[in-house]
Amino acid sequence: MSKLSFRARALDAAKPLPIYRNGDIPDLNDCVSINRAVPQMPTGMEKEEESEHHLQRAICAQQVFREKRDSMVIPVPEVEGSITYYDRLYKGDFRQTKQLIHIQPFGLDNEQPDYDMDSEDEMLLNRLNRKMELKPLQFEVMVDRLEKASGNQLVTLQEAKLLLNEDDYLLKSVYDYWVRKRKNCRGPSLTPQVKQEKRDGSTNNDAYVAFRRRTEKMQTRKNRKNDEASYEKMLKLRREFSRTVTILEMIKKREKSKRELLHLTLEVVEKRYQMGDFSGEVLKEVSAPLAEKAVFPAPVCLPNGNRHKMESKIKTHKQQPSHPTRHLSAHSEPRFDFTRPHRKYGRRPRLDAAPRPPGRPPQRPHAIADGDIKQYDFHSSGEEDSPLSPSSEPDEENDPDGAFIFRRRDGCHYLAPLGEQRWCSPPGLAWLADPGQRNSLTALSVPRRWVGVSHRRLGRGGRIVLDRTSSDLDRALRLLDPDVFCPSTASVTHHHMHTDTHVNAATHTPPAARTNPQCSLAQLLSNIQACRVRYFRPRPLHENGKEGSKKDALQHDDRKGRGTFAVANNSRTSLSGGITEEQFQSHQQQLEQMKQQQIAQSIHQQGVQPQGLQLPQTMQHIPALPERSHSHVTTMVSTDSVSKTLDSASAHFAASAVVSAPNQESKPHRAGINGILPCQGPRQTKFGRPAAGASSTSSVRPSGGPPRPAPGVPQSLPHGLGPLSSG
Amino acid sequence: LTSVVELVEGCRLPVLRKNQENEDEWPLAEILSVKEVPGKKLYYVHYIDFNKRLDEWVTPDRLDMKKLQFPKKEAKTPTKNGLPGSRPSSPDRDVVRDHTGSLLPTTFCAYLSTAQCPRSTNLHPTLTLKIVRCQMNGTTRRLVPSQPGRKRKNCGTDEDSQDSLDGIPSAPRMTGSLVSDRSHDDIVTRMKNIDCIELGRHRLKPWYFSPYPQELTTLPILYLCEFCLKYLKSLKCLQRHLTKCNLRHPPGNEIYRKGTISFFEIDGRKNKTYSQNLCLLAKCFLDHKTLYYDTDPFLFYVMTEYDSKGFHIVGYFSKEKESTEDYNVACILTLPPYQRRGYGKLLIEFSYELSKVEGKTGTPEKPLSDLGLLSYRSYWSQTILEILMDLKSDNGERPQITINEISEITSVKKEDVISTLQYLNLINYYKGQYILTLSEDIVDGHERAMQKRHLRIDPKCLHFTPKDWSKRGKW
Repeated sequence: MSKLSFRARALDAAKPLPIYRNGDIPDLNDCVSINRAVPQMPTGMEKEEESEHHLQRAICAQQVFREKRDSMVIPVPEVEGSITYYDRLYKGDFRQTKQLIHIQPFGLDNEQPDYDMDSEDEMLLNRLNRKMELKPLQFEVMVDRLEKASGNQLVTLQEAKLLLNEDDYLLKSVYDYWVRKRKNCRGPSLTPQVKQEKRDGSTNNDAYVAFRRRTEKMQTRKNRKNDEASYEKMLKLRREFSRTVTILEMIKKREKSKRELLHLTLEVVEKRYQMGDFSGEVLKEVSAPLAEKAVFPAPVCLPNGNRHKMESKIKTHKQQPSHPTRHLSAHSEPRFDFTRPHRKYGRRPRLDAAPRPPGRPPQRPHAIADGDIKQYDFHSSGEEDSPLSPSSEPDEENDPDGAFIFRRRDGCHYLAPLGEQRWCSPPGLAWLADPGQRNSLTALSVPRRWVGVSHRRLGRGGRIVLDRTSSDLDRALRLLDPDVFCPSTASVTHHHMHTDTHVNAATHTPPAARTNPQCSLAQLLSNIQACRVRYFRPRPLHENGKEGSKKDALQHDDRKGRGTFAVANNSRTSLSGGITEEQFQSHQQQLEQMKQQQIAQSIHQQGVQPQGLQLPQTMQHIPALPERSHSHVTTMVSTDSVSKTLDSASAHFAASAVVSAPNQESKPHRAGINGILPCQGPRQTKFGRPAAGASSTSSVRPSGGPPRPAPGVPQSLPHGLGPLSSG
Repeated sequence: LTSVVELVEGCRLPVLRKNQENEDEWPLAEILSVKEVPGKKLYYVHYIDFNKRLDEWVTPDRLDMKKLQFPKKEAKTPTKNGLPGSRPSSPDRDVVRDHTGSLLPTTFCAYLSTAQCPRSTNLHPTLTLKIVRCQMNGTTRRLVPSQPGRKRKNCGTDEDSQDSLDGIPSAPRMTGSLVSDRSHDDIVTRMKNIDCIELGRHRLKPWYFSPYPQELTTLPILYLCEFCLKYLKSLKCLQRHLTKCNLRHPPGNEIYRKGTISFFEIDGRKNKTYSQNLCLLAKCFLDHKTLYYDTDPFLFYVMTEYDSKGFHIVGYFSKEKESTEDYNVACILTLPPYQRRGYGKLLIEFSYELSKVEGKTGTPEKPLSDLGLLSYRSYWSQTILEILMDLKSDNGERPQITINEISEITSVKKEDVISTLQYLNLINYYKGQYILTLSEDIVDGHERAMQKRHLRIDPKCLHFTPKDWSKRGKW
């Protein structure tokens, strides 16, 4: 045998190895086993264990015998087979399926209690069962719930009662038993559980803590750097989904309540009908004792189809408290905005976030009012049954109220709106100046008279609806000449430029009015003249607009009767009161001029075309226009024979609306097609109905409850103009 | 002669035990713990050079007091636990080691921390007293605990008992981390904590520590539901549980069935409860398994045997969904009642069948246990020999094959192929090149072994589509 005198090459895994059988190599002795040229592979065992006696013995045995020898196997602790009761314990009725078993995800968790009754429990059960029926499963469910509701602190009996919907005696027995058992229990829970880690790291070395979560450092293997981020996103998603579930549950609850109310109302009405209580006498008699939570016979349906306006009616007069500071909030009107509740969870905390308590002295009246308005928002959505409302954070984008936005705060109890009380007990004139309130002195052109205090809103089809309010000025106003304030062009331009500050100015005046309400009429008038208090009056009619305006006026009158409860109100348009008659007037004059120019121009360019044919098309593209013309146009367009019914007056208004946008630029011919510039949203405020302007700024918001002008007013104008200019 | 009372942890002495031939043997053992039950003392002993699974509680009459060695004074250079052996490290274990990385507590500290933990005091009734005494004396006796860690053998068993007179005062060791709980941890995890587990028709004696809820560790028998593996403290509870548990198979998809043998795939993330219960049970028989972290990144393949009661668990292996080190098995276990009947090899074979479907080679995660090493070696040997012996020479040439080809065919990682060839002593150098020689006894031994190997995996019965777990959101 030759001594290995050369250096063997390394074993190459890619190189073919010829296979020799024993007899194939006659000179086998020449064959050198040079395993040492091949790097010795580790066994993969812990070094110390590798040398253990039984293993070494077994390895040797295998090397020698090439197979296992029973005496040489590694000994292990014994196993005891054949448990005698096994067959009784496990039922032998399982049949194998033909197909491979495929489990459904989520199909596994049946709602069985984790707790398993022991023999001690069985004794209790036997004892209890002498008096009542208590099934083992029922008992286990009870204990299971108690266990799961208890952390270190056991649930109290009161909590247990809420937790378990059981008979009192049974509950008490089980609860007492559970408390006793739990106290004697050695483990942290009656259902033994693997010890869980504590987040403070104190359990890092606890041998009994197992299955720690891998969150501190997710196993970021290659290609999954973003795992942690996505994990957190999922967590967030989960949180938000669970919120959604909560909200939906609340909605469900609310809708149920509503249905119940409807049924009850129906029942009441039927009963009254049977009784012949047509005058409401009986009802009044019956409901007198219930005054505190007075119920009105029927939910009031508004003409615009609003379905949640009962509150203002339902709230009782008697509840009218003598909160002197409450009045501010009391004047706000509930308005339900469907989009609202879903936006509760904004992101950014804001500095001025804290909602002011309703009872706080109104140093900044409008701010408080805003808060209260929202507060009623909440309630008008019917969520009274959950008095502790979740906090809310409206997004700025959709809330022109800016810093004064109301946000619900967690855990606060928000009171229901006080409804009509405000009309009955006018607290003064302060609120008139409150831009948040949108109430203003109002006069009508036809018939020429004061309406009193009211606020405007846009009704269906662009109609103006005046919600009238009674005040102690009513009598005085009735005698007043509506034309007492003559609009002056001079003042118009002034206000034009100061629209923004206008509102603020108004807020500064009220203190005087508030402190001294009685001497207020004269002061008020002067305030109005000084534009410190809002005053609204429709623009005097143009000759050719008369017919339509009459209709308008009629509509106003129609609505006036219901004013007090027709309470749709865009409470968030804080600028709403900021437009005066003067501004309105001057704009109309400007519009008139521009319109004439425009018409002349278009006629000049396109030859004479019947206006009536063009305009309807145009108008169809313009969903919202300054209110008056709009109300006409929509009326007209809705009929089939558009061109026939579009009278000259309407056409006139429509035209004025069309041109109104560029007009306010004061440079009508500056640029754009045919001298018409794309409108810029905010400008709209100054001549259009204020709310329209406001909504154009908040065009992102999906349309709320009451009909409003479609959001895209400014944007749609250029399109609308297309046919006019080029067609 | 020293009295029994003076036996403390760390003492070594011959202890009577029966070997497999039921003969008396007196292997040297180390006392790891002492406890008093009414009427007598019990000693938890570890037989030196025997696997931990044979550690047990013994009565004093099994101790040979004549040859008692007291703990050595100086041998206590604290040893590092979990010294990496010849295995490459796995990420998981590395984390654990880093966590407990403040190694090397002084023995004294070890005692302190043991004493500070009220739960362990019942294990060391005398210990606390001693420490108190030490502290009151203002002196520190070198209290020598059992040397945890795997280097204990290095302490030598043949040393005389020169320092057996404990009580030589020396300065307290103030170096080392006081708070390191690893030693305490170790004394806890070194000892079996469950006496007996009843699973289905079997009663199993656990081999190692398992972190079942601590309140259950005092029970004479821990009851497990055979199908969902839920742990219960009493037979009554198990009965009650069985009225509610309608599982008759592991809660996963059956991906293999041939005859009565089935395999179920369980996602450690989707089926946490079962996965955890399975791990707790498996830990009883796997020394190096860690349950430190959750089961999310693992898949569990449970092998079952079917009868009219349902699919009974025989064994399982776990597998990382994504392994960076080519591991195709993390932990693997045949439950003791089914051991030595070919199921282990079946499990291993199945794991390689999965790798074949995946088109990868794989290797089991290290460290291997003694039984693991034997099983894998046996599987590798048989698999490789099967290939080598089936090779036919075409056109009169000597058959030949590369290691890479063997690896590709079998999905056994190259290194494992080489180590097996080495182990079987097949690689030889002949006339300037490496050759494989199949000796007579190798061939015979293989043929005999293959005759006994009835249980085989039939790849046709496998219905398995590997998932790409690297895709986002899959695990």
